[in-house]
Amino acid sequence: MARLNSKEAETILYQRPESMEARPFHFCPGCGHGIVFRLVGEVIDELKIRERAICVASIGCSVNSYEYFKCDGLESAHGRAPAVATAIKRCHPDLVPFTYQGDGDLAAIGTAEIVHACARGENITTIFVNNAIYGMTGGQMAPTTLLDMYSTSTTAGRKSALAGYPIRVCEMLSTLEGTAYIARVTVNSPAAVRKAKQAIKLAFRTQLANLGMSLVEVLSPCPTNWRVEPVKAMDWLAEHMLPQYPLGEYKVIEAVAALKKEVGNA
Amino acid sequence: MHEEITIGGFGGQGVLFIGRLLTEAAFREEREVVYMPAYGAEKRGGTVWCNVTISDERIGALFIARPTIAVAMNSASLNRFKQTTKADGLLIVNKSLVPETVSRGDISTVYIPANDLATEVGNSDIGNLVVLGALLARRPVVSLDSIHQIMKDSLGEKQQLLQMNQKALEKGYRWTKKEYTG
Amino acid sequence: MSEKTLMAGNIAIAEGAILAHCQAYFGYPITPQNELLEHMSKRMPEEGRVFVQTESELAAINMVYGAAASGCRAMTTTSSPGFSLQQEGLSYMAGAEIPAVVVNVMRGGPGLGDIGGAQGDYFQAVKGGGHGDYHLITLAPSSVQEMMDFAMLAFELADKYRNPVILLPDGFLGQAIEPVVMRPPVTKLPEKPWAITGARGRPKNIINSFAMDPVDYQPHVALLRQKFQRIKQNEVRYEGINLDDAALVMVAYGSAFRSAMTAMQMARQAGLKVGIFRPITLFPFPVAPLSNLSQKVKSFLVVELSLGQLIEDVRLSLSAEAKVELVNQFGGVPISADEILEAIEKIMK
Repeated sequence: MARLNSKEAETILYQRPESMEARPFHFCPGCGHGIVFRLVGEVIDELKIRERAICVASIGCSVNSYEYFKCDGLESAHGRAPAVATAIKRCHPDLVPFTYQGDGDLAAIGTAEIVHACARGENITTIFVNNAIYGMTGGQMAPTTLLDMYSTSTTAGRKSALAGYPIRVCEMLSTLEGTAYIARVTVNSPAAVRKAKQAIKLAFRTQLANLGMSLVEVLSPCPTNWRVEPVKAMDWLAEHMLPQYPLGEYKVIEAVAALKKEVGNA
Repeated sequence: MHEEITIGGFGGQGVLFIGRLLTEAAFREEREVVYMPAYGAEKRGGTVWCNVTISDERIGALFIARPTIAVAMNSASLNRFKQTTKADGLLIVNKSLVPETVSRGDISTVYIPANDLATEVGNSDIGNLVVLGALLARRPVVSLDSIHQIMKDSLGEKQQLLQMNQKALEKGYRWTKKEYTG
Repeated sequence: MSEKTLMAGNIAIAEGAILAHCQAYFGYPITPQNELLEHMSKRMPEEGRVFVQTESELAAINMVYGAAASGCRAMTTTSSPGFSLQQEGLSYMAGAEIPAVVVNVMRGGPGLGDIGGAQGDYFQAVKGGGHGDYHLITLAPSSVQEMMDFAMLAFELADKYRNPVILLPDGFLGQAIEPVVMRPPVTKLPEKPWAITGARGRPKNIINSFAMDPVDYQPHVALLRQKFQRIKQNEVRYEGINLDDAALVMVAYGSAFRSAMTAMQMARQAGLKVGIFRPITLFPFPVAPLSNLSQKVKSFLVVELSLGQLIEDVRLSLSAEAKVELVNQFGGVPISADEILEAIEKIMK
């Protein structure tokens, strides 16, 4: 993208974050991932950590997350991103590894890895995108799929007798003493997006201040696999996901609360 | 010189300890040596054993099928060793705990009341060192001095324990020299 | 001068790794390699290096992936059931060309098996083990000294080829105590410009084993193939003993080799001309040396602690007219020199 010089443009209202590549997202129309990636990019810019950030990608729709950032990155096996990030941080305390994981990756196959990264209080950051469905494999039940919700592997709706109950990740992980900051946000409205960015920024700042494990769960729409139109998906999220997954901060240790009060945490 | 030594007894009898002493002594005397413990879920009271092979040449097998020297600290070990001990080998039996004897003409035997002799030096638990003394009295695979030196090095500050161990070792050595001369 | 000391096999691996400047160790307790993990839990922090006891072998191998991808020499150690869990990570590392060292102190299997020593994971180590087309350099130590030396060699080869290297002793070797000559520590490590260390003053580095389109992935696998060819050409290692006049050659590695050594000595005393061929690299397998040997020796006896895995590679290497027999133990039971001697006598008399 050609840069406008100052004469041509007096005010730039919107541009791609500097830490992001000039490449289109591969996501379906109306998907929330693009918004979340952008928020992470903005935060990396604002905290000036592109040269230290390591994008630890997972498996699912976020499989090639590292393609979108101008920082180093790697692909981890399904669910193992927190273990990979743990090692990177332990070996290089100056780096800023973050995992970007979906619900199948984090809350099903990678449950042990995220729980133990939290239990150890690893000084890493996890962005957890919960869209209540397996996107990449074509819409099967996720660990966070709602009761009675349709998926290609619960065509009559998820029934607890057969398929158990959706997992509330923030609630579960916030009981672990190694976690410093845990919040659930969403991206289904401009206001919600602004709050999501604040949470993501605070999560990274938690890591930069060496305060322990930080995780932000982002409730995100998947119109394709929910089989609703993109705009309606935003409403569907509010109507169905929010009651099951209430927004808010689930863990803010004192030191993080102090960070939050510091000037400049927009 | 090539000796294959197997020591068996109850866990807690110090079987592995005297195996390690022999190994360390052979090492200090610059011989080839392999120590191979039975390992795993042994608990106090179960039968344990260890192998020590001492040689002047590169050692092959980690395991000893037919020991040239066998030490039976309990009956279970004797049951095994009375068959496996190699012809012309030496079999040492702790008479304090093992009432059985062996009827084999092709091996030498020593029946030593190890725990009783250990009691005489003040600690019935260190029959293992009495037995080690007996072994060295009949087959000087390493020198008694090496064993003394290792105990000194490892028990340096625990003077009382060191003296007790030294006495037990000497007791077994002298008793055997006296009872089994020639 | 190099110092000589008595050491257990498992500890020798740990100290070898430290001498090779292993910067990060990750492991999960499993018998019969627990002493190794325990030793590292003390030694790594002493050296100012990374130690993490993980929640599973799966986490351990993925931490190794992360540490090694970020340029550190990294290792995990385990035993058979744990090694199964690590196949996923090994496939990813082989695919992404990440150098790392994985030690499998083999025990009896299949399943939970037992804690005796065994060689039943031979196929798993040398044929890939995980999904996809790849090979792992596999080193088979047969003494405590080699536990140390090959741990060091493993790091060197891993970096040389950017490929995981497996150290494959059996549980018996892990427990054995023998004299070891201490080696000088490695002080110079290779540069790793590909590592993810932060995109500072250079284009970003990406580590993966993935392409959206098979057309893009195939060339990568073709490059891996070339690398495996180079490894086969350059890294074959083996030891031959008494091969000059041998009428029968035993093929064995690990603790089975040690028993075979004693059996050979016994056989020679009885006037039987027996030699030993010991593969040191199980991958790359010493195909050509064995093939050449079978031009003059026609009788082979494979000695191994499995139902017969090594024997398949031996058969593939030999000339068609060579006869190959097997004498083995399995399920965690060691093989005695007597059993082997009996097999030798049966063949030669």
